[in-house]
Amino acid sequence: MKLLWAACALLVCCWRASASTAGFIKSPLSQIKFTNDSTELHCEVIGDPIPEVQWWFVEGDEPNETFTHLFDGARDDRVLINATYVAHATSTLHLTNLTPDDSGTYECRASNDPDRNAMMKTPKIKWIRSQANVIVIEYPTVIASPSEVNNQTTAVLSCNLTDSSRPIKGSFWLLNGKLVKDSDSTASVPYTTLHLEKINYHTAGKYECVFKTDPNVTQTIEVKILPHVSAHKHSEHGNENDKIVLVCDSHGYPFPTDWTWIKKVENDFEPIINGTTAKYEIKSTPNKTSLTISDLSIESDVGDYECSGTNELGTNSDTIHLRVRSRLAALWPFLGIVAEVIILVAIIFIYEKRRKPDEINDDDDSGSAPLKSNSTTNHKDKNVRQRNSN
Amino acid sequence: MPPAAASKLDYVPPDGGWGWAVVLGAFISIGFSYAFPKSLTVYFKEIQAYFSVSYSQIAWVSSVMLATMYAAGPIASILVNRYGSRPVVMVGGLMVSAGMILASFGTSIVHLYLCVGVIGGLGLALNLQPSLTIVGSYFLVKRPLANGLAMTGSPVVLFTLAPLNQFLFDSFGWRGSFLILGAIVMNCCVAGALMRPVNKNIKPIPKTAPPNGEVSEEKQDETKSEGCLKRFVDVSLFRHRGFLIYLIGNCVMFFGLFAPVVFLAPYARHQGIDEYSSALLLSIFAVVDMFVRPSTGFLGNTKWIRPKIQYFFSFAVLFNGVCHLLCPLAQGHAGLIVYTVFFGIAFGMLCALLFETLMDLIGAQRFSTAVGLVTIIECGPVLLGPPICGALVDSLGDYKYLFYMCGIILVGCGLFFFIMHYYNYKKLEEEKDKSASVETRTPEEEEVELKPSPESPRFDGFLIPNQILNDR
Repeated sequence: MKLLWAACALLVCCWRASASTAGFIKSPLSQIKFTNDSTELHCEVIGDPIPEVQWWFVEGDEPNETFTHLFDGARDDRVLINATYVAHATSTLHLTNLTPDDSGTYECRASNDPDRNAMMKTPKIKWIRSQANVIVIEYPTVIASPSEVNNQTTAVLSCNLTDSSRPIKGSFWLLNGKLVKDSDSTASVPYTTLHLEKINYHTAGKYECVFKTDPNVTQTIEVKILPHVSAHKHSEHGNENDKIVLVCDSHGYPFPTDWTWIKKVENDFEPIINGTTAKYEIKSTPNKTSLTISDLSIESDVGDYECSGTNELGTNSDTIHLRVRSRLAALWPFLGIVAEVIILVAIIFIYEKRRKPDEINDDDDSGSAPLKSNSTTNHKDKNVRQRNSN
Repeated sequence: MPPAAASKLDYVPPDGGWGWAVVLGAFISIGFSYAFPKSLTVYFKEIQAYFSVSYSQIAWVSSVMLATMYAAGPIASILVNRYGSRPVVMVGGLMVSAGMILASFGTSIVHLYLCVGVIGGLGLALNLQPSLTIVGSYFLVKRPLANGLAMTGSPVVLFTLAPLNQFLFDSFGWRGSFLILGAIVMNCCVAGALMRPVNKNIKPIPKTAPPNGEVSEEKQDETKSEGCLKRFVDVSLFRHRGFLIYLIGNCVMFFGLFAPVVFLAPYARHQGIDEYSSALLLSIFAVVDMFVRPSTGFLGNTKWIRPKIQYFFSFAVLFNGVCHLLCPLAQGHAGLIVYTVFFGIAFGMLCALLFETLMDLIGAQRFSTAVGLVTIIECGPVLLGPPICGALVDSLGDYKYLFYMCGIILVGCGLFFFIMHYYNYKKLEEEKDKSASVETRTPEEEEVELKPSPESPRFDGFLIPNQILNDR
């Protein structure tokens, strides 16, 4: 009996000892970063009760290591710690504006032991730890030549990687963030070139040469041209007293900073300024401009409208020819067709009225007209009145 | 005196003469009714930009027009029964015209819904019904051919209106185009003028009761039916076996009939064919359709097919279904052209016989009411079919499922028609034998029979009134 009680008590004790020690489910990862870059170290721990997570910076070698506690706002506010304690503990260490002094070992410590902060015991015993190495290196110099391409028809872009200690696994080029076709190479050489045979609004933009050094090193070369301005439609039709929207687009790089509209009437140039009259409204974005003309009139609004886009290199423009249709333009065909319909209907009805007496046998008395015309000759009053068959 | 056989027509239809002018009128009317809503899509992009609305909002204009056209069927039936075809078509033409003219001055999208959609749709309904009815009243022997010719109006007018609309739009803008279209549509009034009411005073050889007596009897029938409108519209037709077969089969069929037409061009573009060639497919479809419809009418008129024309219709439905099921096998531009040609043939056959079969089942007298009921009930499938198929394509991501679904629906309907009409023909044979032996009038008998003469041949209930024709 007593043995039974003891066994039960033991079972209950074991069962109730559901408190589990802390354990890592995600450990921080080692990384290599450039100066002025930023990095993140992430740590997740489970345990019951929920463990507490701390970040420590380790310098020196064993056994003479120095530990520095990292808190939110440390290192001149470059350290940011984001921790949540829901179901399990997570903590992320953000380090911005990296300097070479930030290199070292970062330790994520966790413990759910109630005695963890007691002064008597060594931390190593009560805290579990996980480490990651962060190496901060100087951004290597990439010499780009030329540094900028302005208004040329062809160019050869080249990048030269100097003072890099990292192994080069290859290189590629990006245009406005998208990979340039056939530029991906696996040659582990510290230089790369890109030939631009034709520089137009398709091929202009921000080029970046990227060396695959993990982390990648990149340099930018801007290829600039005059803005390519094109109208959506070169000939527009508007209706009298109606409104119309004339639109111009721009392609290439850089996008125009200024758009202007000019109305050309014979040899007269009239700039159109936004806001002066209710008639004109100009809406411009870097790559598109639109001119809305309200209440079109045939006398004053017909003509050529020129849209000009200006960027740092210069100006380009395109012309739209506006035609205004008279309100009455459609009226003439309309009246013509209505007249045709009326004439046809009249012909059909008249034809029917003339044929009708021949067809009807026993209907109402059709008067003197012959009922069944056996003869085509039309004897007028000589004809005896036909009998109505009934 | 041998009793008068169950005759719904107390006169001999001319089967020619002015009838062909009436067919021309019907050609124009039917053409505008079917082709007009489809051809307006040319203007949608511009109107959409003008009123700053979404594409689905502008597409509603066509849908409202089509819906009103189908839903106003019974109204058209009642008006035709009362006033005859001619005034109704002319009023219909004026309505569509007025709708378009008002729409050209429109200031909002709702304005367009009302003018083009509701008024226009109503006018087109008043055009469609009477045209079909009057063809039925002018023709008996050559009726399938006349129907086939009249239905050819739809592809011909569509083929003409599409480029014309583009030209009008480029020259005048959408407002001017609507104004001119209003005038063009007024030609339906010309079509209406052609629809002279058939001369019902040409009687068979005087063996029957005197014309006045029969005429008054006919008038009695009409007044009775006009008085009890509800009874006339609802009950009697729904007890008609042939009508029920037609109604059920057609309603299911319409779910899958128009969707392939709507999605042909998008499917072609999806296959990588350029936009111009995709549009060309629709033109090929229209041209094939144009030639197949009168040919089908002619075939339907031959002595082998005319008595069993319902089977011919079932075959057409089945052919459509098979075409769609085989479509996914067609690869590339050439394959799609082959599919389009076959689809054009199948579709043309089906449309040419669509109303002929109803006339065949119901008879010309009650046709007007019947077609009114049929169109209002078909309104649902016609409108819901393409959007449902569109949703199917969007959710499954592949057009082939659309063709499979439509193919299965059509094959199912075709088989349904075959089986049910076989049963129907058998029943009709039995009833005819019964009535011949008992020699009593059977009002439910739907075959159109004229006074039998000992010499004239019989083809399964259809009499070729040789005697009548010879006497004229």
